[in-house]
Amino acid sequence: MVLIKVDYKEKDADRLKLKNGFLCREVAGQWVVVPLGERVVEFNGIMTLSESGALLWRNMDSEVDEEDLVKLVLSEYIIDEDTAREDVREFVVSLKENGLIE
Amino acid sequence: MALTLDKLYSQLVSVAKKKRKLLSASFELTTRCNLRCKMCYVCENVNDSNCKAKELTSEQWIGLAEEARDLGLLFLTLTGGEVFIRNDFKEIYEKLMRMGFILTIYTNGTLITPEIANWLASMPPFKVSITLYGASRKTYQEVTGSAEGYDKTVKAIDTLLEKNIPTEIKTTVVRGNKSEYDRLLEFAQQRKLELGIVNYVSPRREGDNTNPIGNRLSPQELVEYEVHINERNIELGLLMRKDNSSMGSQLVSLERKDTIIQSSEPSDAFHCLAGKSAAWVTSDGRLLPCGLLDMVKAYPLDQGFALAWEELKRGCELISPCKECQECLLQSFCEHCPARLLKETGQYDRKSPYLCELARRRKEAVNWSIP
Repeated sequence: MVLIKVDYKEKDADRLKLKNGFLCREVAGQWVVVPLGERVVEFNGIMTLSESGALLWRNMDSEVDEEDLVKLVLSEYIIDEDTAREDVREFVVSLKENGLIE
Repeated sequence: MALTLDKLYSQLVSVAKKKRKLLSASFELTTRCNLRCKMCYVCENVNDSNCKAKELTSEQWIGLAEEARDLGLLFLTLTGGEVFIRNDFKEIYEKLMRMGFILTIYTNGTLITPEIANWLASMPPFKVSITLYGASRKTYQEVTGSAEGYDKTVKAIDTLLEKNIPTEIKTTVVRGNKSEYDRLLEFAQQRKLELGIVNYVSPRREGDNTNPIGNRLSPQELVEYEVHINERNIELGLLMRKDNSSMGSQLVSLERKDTIIQSSEPSDAFHCLAGKSAAWVTSDGRLLPCGLLDMVKAYPLDQGFALAWEELKRGCELISPCKECQECLLQSFCEHCPARLLKETGQYDRKSPYLCELARRRKEAVNWSIP
C-alpha cells in the first residue's frame, strides 16, 4: 500500500488533464484520492490532498493549464498571486511525479 | 512531510470516531462455507437453500455500498462464510473496486484457483487475508473437515504471493491446532509474512452446525499458547520485551489491530469503533455494530443506509458498560466488550466466567515470568 501526499515544486505550463480512474473523496474531514478498478495495479494506495489541492483536483477533469488553476485559487482564497502561482506549480509537479497527469 | 499510512488511518479514525462518521465496514456476503470449521460462529452449508435465499443479491450489495460510500465509508472488508462460493462475487467485487473503497477480502483461500488469482492481480484489493487453520492435512481434517483444504490454501497463498497480491495470513487457535503454532510461524516466515493470531473463539451468533465452545481452548490452555508464542517470538527476536505483561494486546490480531481504542467516557460500553465509525452488514441485510453483536440492529434496505446508521449508533449508545468489568483490577489482561459479554452470558453487563478466568490466568502468567 502506497501513501502519497501530493506536494509542490517547479514550473510547468503544459495543458493539464488528470488521468481517469481516480476518485477524490472527503473522508472524515480529510480529502483523499483513491484509485478505481484496474488503476489500482499501478497505484495501490491513498493520496491525501489539502483543501486547496482538492479544489484544484476537482477542476482538472477537463483540460486546463496552470493559469486556469492560479485564477481558481485566487478566486477562492485570500492569497497573493505569486504565492498562488508557486503553490499551483508545486502541485502540478507533484501530480506529474506521481504519474497522475495524462 | 508525507503521512504514513498508519498515521493517516489513525487520523481518519480519530475524526470519524469523534464525529460518529462511518469509516469502515464489513459486508458479510454469505454465511455459507465450503469448510466445516468446528469453531465457526456463523458457518452454514454451501448448498443450504434457505440460507442462500436470504442472502442479499449483488444489486442489493452494490446499492448498499453506494449509500455507505456517500456516508464516508472508505475501508470495506468482504467476508463470509466463504466469499468465493458466491457465483456473483466477481461482479460484486469489480463494482465495489470502481467505487473508491480500500477493499480487503477475508477468505479461507481454498477456492482461489490460478484463474481467480490472475483476475485478482488485474484489480488487486488492498489485502487478501487468509485464515490458515493448521500446518498439515491431518489438522485441516480435524479442524475444518477437509484434509485437502490444507493443500488448496497453501497453493492459494503461494499463488497470490507470486502475483504480488498483498496477502496476509492468520490462524484461529482451537483445540485441534493448538500444537501447531511453531509450524505455522515457520510457514509464515518462509514466505516473509507475519502470522496473525485470532485467540478468541466466540459462541455461535446463529445456526447450529458448529460447536465453538466445545472446541475453543480453556483459559489455561489459551494462556499456555500465548506464553509459548511470546517465548518463541523472543527467541526469534520478534519481541524485545522479556515479560508477558502485554500479552493481551501483543497476541491479539483480530480484524484490524488499531481498531482497539480505549474509550475516555466511562459511560461508553465500547472500547472499539463498533457503532461509532464501524459497522457490519450481515448476509441477510442487517446492519450490526460488529459481526458478533446481533441484538442491536437496523435495516438499511428498508430505511436507507443513512437512517439505519443513525439508528445503530443510538442503539449502541444505550448499552451500559459492565460495572464489574470497569472496576476489575484485571482489565488490562481482559478483552471484554459488550458483544463478547452478550455472547458469553446473554447480557451486556454481566461478567463472563470464561473471560474472567482468562484474565486471571494471564495475570498469573505474568507473575511467573517477572521475578
